[in-house]
Amino acid sequence: MAAPFLEVRNLVKEFGELRAVNKVSFEIGADEMVGLIGPNGAGKSTLIRLITGILKPTSGQVLFKGEDITGQPIHKTVNMGLASTFQIVKPFRHLPVVANVMVPCLCQRSRRKGEWVKTVELRARDSLEFCGISDLALEPASVLSHGDLKRLELARAIATEPDLLLLDEPFGGLNPAETRLVAKSLKRLHKGGRFGRLHSEGPAMMIVEHKLTELMPMLDRVIVLSFGEILAVGTPAEVVSNKEVIKAYIGKEVKALATQSG
Amino acid sequence: MTYLLLWYGWFRGEILAIPGRVIALLFFLVLFGAPLVTQDPYYLRMITLATIFALFATSWDVLSGFTGQINLGHALFFGVSGYMAGLLNTHFGMPPWLTIPTGALTGVAVGLIAGIPALRLRGIYLGLVTLTFPLILLGVFFTFPEFTGGELGISGIERLAFSRILSYYIVVAVFTLSVFFMWKFTDAGSKIFRVGLILHAIREDEITARASGINTTGYKFLAFAVSGFFAGIAGGLFVHYMRIAAPSMLELVFSFQAILWTIFGGVATIYGAVAGVFILFPMLELLSLTEWGEQSRFIIFTVILILTLLFMPEGLTVWVLDKLEIKCPRCKLVNVFTRRTCRACRAPLRNQEN
Repeated sequence: MAAPFLEVRNLVKEFGELRAVNKVSFEIGADEMVGLIGPNGAGKSTLIRLITGILKPTSGQVLFKGEDITGQPIHKTVNMGLASTFQIVKPFRHLPVVANVMVPCLCQRSRRKGEWVKTVELRARDSLEFCGISDLALEPASVLSHGDLKRLELARAIATEPDLLLLDEPFGGLNPAETRLVAKSLKRLHKGGRFGRLHSEGPAMMIVEHKLTELMPMLDRVIVLSFGEILAVGTPAEVVSNKEVIKAYIGKEVKALATQSG
Repeated sequence: MTYLLLWYGWFRGEILAIPGRVIALLFFLVLFGAPLVTQDPYYLRMITLATIFALFATSWDVLSGFTGQINLGHALFFGVSGYMAGLLNTHFGMPPWLTIPTGALTGVAVGLIAGIPALRLRGIYLGLVTLTFPLILLGVFFTFPEFTGGELGISGIERLAFSRILSYYIVVAVFTLSVFFMWKFTDAGSKIFRVGLILHAIREDEITARASGINTTGYKFLAFAVSGFFAGIAGGLFVHYMRIAAPSMLELVFSFQAILWTIFGGVATIYGAVAGVFILFPMLELLSLTEWGEQSRFIIFTVILILTLLFMPEGLTVWVLDKLEIKCPRCKLVNVFTRRTCRACRAPLRNQEN
């Protein structure tokens, strides 16, 4: 059998006394859309950072496409096809929006030999258009609102043409209309729908999110984290009816959710 | 004839329409035409030195202004390559056109060796570490006086060219080519180099740049190398022009002077560094001609610097260009301040009420 697409083995991260991620193991397939949910402080963001390599794990392994990427620098994992967004947006504030997205278009992975700068700009604009902010392309990133910055962050991540996309709260700070828009485009991206000339096949995704109503219908599988440990894994319908998950995280709204995602 | 018209069209659109470029064009015309007006050695010497220092300040701007790697010991590049050029010339009799590039490459090599431990640090800590490098080297030079001349330095170095005018033109030509290269190298909107955009990105947010798949360490080394090379060229020119390689080239004050000039003119704009040197350096020199100026010139210098930082915090050139140029709100093209509509897209440049 071929090696799994992304495999996380016994990942542990300690901040001093605190064990933020405790022996987490799971796998993601190349065509899956996985949600990572859990209460605040459960270690979701830490887990994402451990996978991308911003943080170094205390112990455990991360394997991507059969290669060990534990503790590799971020730019290497990105060039292997593992892109991520940050929960707190970090744009290049003084550069125009399109230049923000041109930078990832220049990385080793998405660079074309002998390509004109004009073509790079076109690819960057494709990715902006996909996220719906192409009309702001020439404005400096510092004038953008938080919702637009969030979408810029997404555009920056997909400009590297990833095989696996790790999204840390892509809907955070977005209003309901924008949320639906982004959710729709994420689904389209995953299905390999037309997206400029960038993707022939959609990337696998792992999404950390609290807005379950929008998130759940998109997902193939959900992983629930609580206090750094995996509480439950399963399809959205299974997870929302799981007693422990209800107790730890979802609370009473469960019925509405179950009917929507089921 | 058609080509002439085409060329004129390009010239009008790309240079005459943009006030900043008109000023730059006038500046270079004056620089190249100065020996035709005056051949007074004092003034020629002043302009030549200003040109060399402008090259030095510009190279600092490439590293610290554009890439954000604060280097407080930029004199390291200047001094090492200057000494190297001097040694090669006096010991092996190599001609200046060979010693200056060799010296500059040596400077780059030393800078990169120093950069390996230093580039693990960020921000002000990098600044503190780089601050020490020239001082350490100065100590090394004083330990081997028979080779480096100790406190006296190396004297009797060959002059740049046999005539004063020719030296002037060599320095000015090298300066023009280097500044043009550095301008294109660091320009984020450049159609030739893509490095400029990445350097800007590294200054803005290094982690995001890395999360975009950019090997930031490699690009930081590149910035170190390019900046060190041009500072080294400036050092070599200085040594061959002054015919002496003195320890003062490695002193702290000299590193700081590049920073002062650049901040006065405007950080992260190549022209700012050039303007800073060409305003401040001749001003200090000319003040020393009179007796009262000789005594109070550093007070005047300080007052001007403080006032600049107070009223033009982004630097003199940025402030001036802000008054002369208007960016079109729609297409972001630069227009002269007298225009009411954008020259390309006809969008109104100001609100119509006023």
